[in-house]
Amino acid sequence: MSAPDVVVVGAGPAGLAAAATLGRHGAAVTVVDEQEQPGGQIYRQPPAGFTPPAGSSPAGRALLAEATAAPGVRWLADTTVWGVLGTRAGLDGYAGDQPPPGRYRVATHGPVGVRLLEPRAVLLTAGAYDLPVPFPGWTLPGVLTAGGVQTFVKAQGLLPGGRFVLAGGHPLLLVVAAQLVRAGARVVEVALIQRRRDLLPGPAGLAAAAGAGGKIAEGVDALRVLRRAGVPVRFGTVVRRAAGDPDLTTVTLAEVGPTGLPVSGTDRDVPCDVLALGYGFVPSVELARQAGCAVTWDSPAGGWVVRHDEWLRTSVPQIAVAGELTGVAGAEQAEVEGRLAALGVLRDLGLLDEHRAVTLARPVRRELRRRRRFVTQVLDRFAPDRAALGSLVTDDTVLCRCEEVRAGDVRRALRANPHLGTANAVKLVTRAGMGLCQGRSCQPGLCQLISTLTGRGPEQVGAFTAQAPVKPVPLRALAVGDEPPAAD
Amino acid sequence: MTSYDTAVIGGGLLGCATAWHLARAGNRVLLVEKDQVNRHASGQNAGSLHFQLEFRMVEHGDDAARAAARALPLHLDAMRAWATVEDELGERCGVSRTGGLMLAETPAEIAVLDRKAALEREYGLDVAVLSGPELRRFAPYLADTVLAAGHVPGEGKANPRLVTPALARAAGRYGAVLRTGCRVTGLHRRGRHWELRTGTGPGDTAGETHLADTVVLAGGVWTAELAAMADVRLPVFPVGLTMSATARSRPFLPHLIQHVGRRLSMKQTEDGNVLIGGGWPAKLVSRAGQVDLETNPELRYESLVGNADAARVVPAVFDLPVIRTWTGMTTLTPDHLPLLGAVPRRPGLFVATGGSAFTLGLTYARLLARMVVTGETDRSIEDYSPSRFGALNFV
Amino acid sequence: MDRPEPVTIEVDGRTVPAHPGESLATALLAAGERAVGTTRGGARRAPYCNMGICFECVVTVDDVPCQRSCLIRVRADMRVRTAVPR
Ligand SMILES: Cc1cc2nc3c(=O)[nH]c(=O)nc-3n(C[C@H](O)[C@H](O)[C@H](O)COP(=O)(O)OP(=O)(O)OC[C@H]3O[C@@H](n4cnc5c(N)ncnc54)[C@H](O)[C@@H]3O)c2cc1C
Ligand SMILES: Cc1cc2nc3c(=O)[nH]c(=O)nc-3n(C[C@H](O)[C@H](O)[C@H](O)COP(=O)(O)OP(=O)(O)OC[C@H]3O[C@@H](n4cnc5c(N)ncnc54)[C@H](O)[C@@H]3O)c2cc1C
Ligand code: FES
Repeated sequence: MSAPDVVVVGAGPAGLAAAATLGRHGAAVTVVDEQEQPGGQIYRQPPAGFTPPAGSSPAGRALLAEATAAPGVRWLADTTVWGVLGTRAGLDGYAGDQPPPGRYRVATHGPVGVRLLEPRAVLLTAGAYDLPVPFPGWTLPGVLTAGGVQTFVKAQGLLPGGRFVLAGGHPLLLVVAAQLVRAGARVVEVALIQRRRDLLPGPAGLAAAAGAGGKIAEGVDALRVLRRAGVPVRFGTVVRRAAGDPDLTTVTLAEVGPTGLPVSGTDRDVPCDVLALGYGFVPSVELARQAGCAVTWDSPAGGWVVRHDEWLRTSVPQIAVAGELTGVAGAEQAEVEGRLAALGVLRDLGLLDEHRAVTLARPVRRELRRRRRFVTQVLDRFAPDRAALGSLVTDDTVLCRCEEVRAGDVRRALRANPHLGTANAVKLVTRAGMGLCQGRSCQPGLCQLISTLTGRGPEQVGAFTAQAPVKPVPLRALAVGDEPPAAD
Repeated sequence: MTSYDTAVIGGGLLGCATAWHLARAGNRVLLVEKDQVNRHASGQNAGSLHFQLEFRMVEHGDDAARAAARALPLHLDAMRAWATVEDELGERCGVSRTGGLMLAETPAEIAVLDRKAALEREYGLDVAVLSGPELRRFAPYLADTVLAAGHVPGEGKANPRLVTPALARAAGRYGAVLRTGCRVTGLHRRGRHWELRTGTGPGDTAGETHLADTVVLAGGVWTAELAAMADVRLPVFPVGLTMSATARSRPFLPHLIQHVGRRLSMKQTEDGNVLIGGGWPAKLVSRAGQVDLETNPELRYESLVGNADAARVVPAVFDLPVIRTWTGMTTLTPDHLPLLGAVPRRPGLFVATGGSAFTLGLTYARLLARMVVTGETDRSIEDYSPSRFGALNFV
Repeated sequence: MDRPEPVTIEVDGRTVPAHPGESLATALLAAGERAVGTTRGGARRAPYCNMGICFECVVTVDDVPCQRSCLIRVRADMRVRTAVPR
């Protein structure tokens, strides 16, 4: 099989739009996604052979159809990209097969084992995941992310419990709560940390909102469904504790004061068997960071985001990004960015001349500007107050789920080693971040704790070094077996 | 401007251990580290405590092996140092000395193993070549392809995550001053003192000047750069290395595993992860024609495959997922022997690097500290002296 | 949602019905398994992100350890071990 021109990592809205655009203009594209079906998180489709109930036509069908119909697009499903190699020192033939000059190796693992793709350009559209916010009891069975609950309901047709509480600080909670109600679930309460008065849009917000009718309508619709079902939506409320033995039976909710901290004496225990948490999203930048792409700290946009130029090209030549990796901004903006990044790649590959690329990009850029105005407003309002969330952690709270490192362990390690103060250094002494998830679940909470304890800012604390494989790969699949891993 | 008896440059295992020995002996010590303690090779290495000759020392024939064997007295010293270090520090550092095996899979490899063992015994290393049922009983986890193994009882591992921070704390307890995020940018002889200039590191400290009677260069791969600040040329070279770690599993691998015919080091940590390394190269990054020592070397796919493939001598490892790989840099010398001792014509300047300086670091540190304090050592270190590269230095 | 006829899978020696193609995490939850494993410290753990990020849902499938049950799809007769401490 001939080497693709472009490898797109992630088949969400950004990746789909990019693949459609790239394919339409003659590029040979390979789209790789870990999931069985394209669609990413929002347009997640049910498994093959499952028919969703009539009337629930999946959103994004047009985009999916456009991408799958585009010529020259090859799909690698169930396949994880675990590294982009050769971006720092270049590839050479001293130690093995000679890769074509000027190409990177995109290392994948899927049903056929480990395979290397050697494209001329890489587009990272790996999306985002729910911001993990540690607090006492968050590791109990029954505590899930809102996105996780949504996937059970929407893509698997399963209600993962009987009594649901949704808590956090992101409007997605309302959408998921409404989906749960529609699916027949008993939703006991939706608790949002923001106080109602902090959410009212200013004049600029109202003006920007005019450009985003869809999202607002979705929110209003969700609120209506919840009201009709009698589900209380409480603002200024935070979940402080989850409890139960052996599994979740109760959550403790409390009122939030003007400083963002829970007000003592306002605790209320609410029985439930599922707690869905939604505090916003973290861009999946680990592959970009592994490849050496420069990142910047942007808290409202989700934390570390990938730096890029006006064509969404990263600091590493031939690697572009689109969607949540540039900052969490939602599916519509991801789609627009996917198109723009694709035009940039086509231009760099010489498949579009400068004039055409610029002309085609003009309306896309206009659309992007319009969306960004709205998104900025939303992000500012729903940005996580990391210091306040950090105060939910007690010494006994597990920060690193994989290695069971507790906040107290980190506090003690920093006290014993006052000369340490970075994420990497704390990882090395405590093992936080050394487990299977490679730090995705603990990095935000850990870094916040280090900041609080040492007074260092997020840039100084830094992030865990991102290393290949960014997701685990079976050793057997890496070893040269009877069938050597072939480049294709 | 503060003045010290000794300034130690580098907060790796070597620097921290040297500072500890010196401070314990009553020296006023300054330890300067440009990043964080244990940030580089000392925190990135495989943690093998190997006292046999390594594959890289025997792969180039008997003469090369004989030359490299001149470091064996240090290996024996290091074996004793690791036996007591946890007691001396008063805390656990994951030291385990349950023995190491160097595997052979072909008759030719067995022959190398036998010759190597004979050479090592000349230096007093307790090594036995196991095979057949004896080997199976001792190491039931080995693949059938393994025919024989050189066994050294005192070999094992220590936890690189824990050792160097513990040494740093111990040095601090004896009064050593630790400066992290503080890069030495200049090193000059002023009268009877050395003057250290420090620049702003990525973190904490602004530029300062310090005076010290003696200076110890413990800069790992930056040793040549540091020596050049004192107008000395030392032929030490950075090499990039690759490590892989698997997910945790139940304890099944109590020994350190090496291979006499290819690159392999393998062990299971106390936490249950299996670490695989043994000299698989990583590609150094260069910028403007210079090796960029501040950027981790690039992972080579072939090294990762090599790492994984070498692990087939322990089939149980094959079922585990690799959860992480990393690369790091270490220093080699042209003759594979350590570089250890006083720098000629630079009174009060000492250096150590090269070789397996995790295994040997405690020994280097003890010998350096003794030289700094008393001007001599309890064993000859002539063979490792920087003076063997005297031809590179004219003043 | 309409789904294919159920098949059976084996979970820790028990026979459990499941729909081919659904995620293993879904099948386990539907079968009443609220947790899919235990940490070394003895804590019960269950799917948390349900999208392949957190590795809280890992099980051993057909002797291969550390498989994310939220990504793995049900196949008839698959053998699942949840009791392996991690
Ligand atoms: C769980 C969840 C639920 C959400 N629900 C809603 C909602 O109801 N409404 C709403 O408006 N927004 C929702 N969002 C936000 C919305 O999904 C995003 O804004 C949008 O999908 C972003 O599109 P994207 O293309 O950037 O990334 P995504 O849609 O996240 O797509 C990224 C894709 O990349 C794949 N991927 C990532 N890394 C790798 C790798 N290393 N190898 C292979 N594949 C990889 C992933 O499997 C995924 O399919 C949700 C987000 C999440 C995480
Ligand atoms: C992947 C890998 C695996 C290895 N495996 C083993 C093994 O199993 N067994 C073994 O014995 N050895 C092993 N080694 C080698 C061993 O790790 C090193 O020899 C040893 O750690 C060196 O210690 P060090 O203190 O001299 O150097 P380092 O740990 O590199 O410390 C030197 C320090 O000096 C600092 N520094 C440099 N310049 C300046 C300056 N101008 N100002 C201030 N500070 C400065 C650096 O920041 C650094 O922290 C391995 C090495 C690697 C990379
Ligand atoms: S539930 Fe998080 S990886 Fe499966």
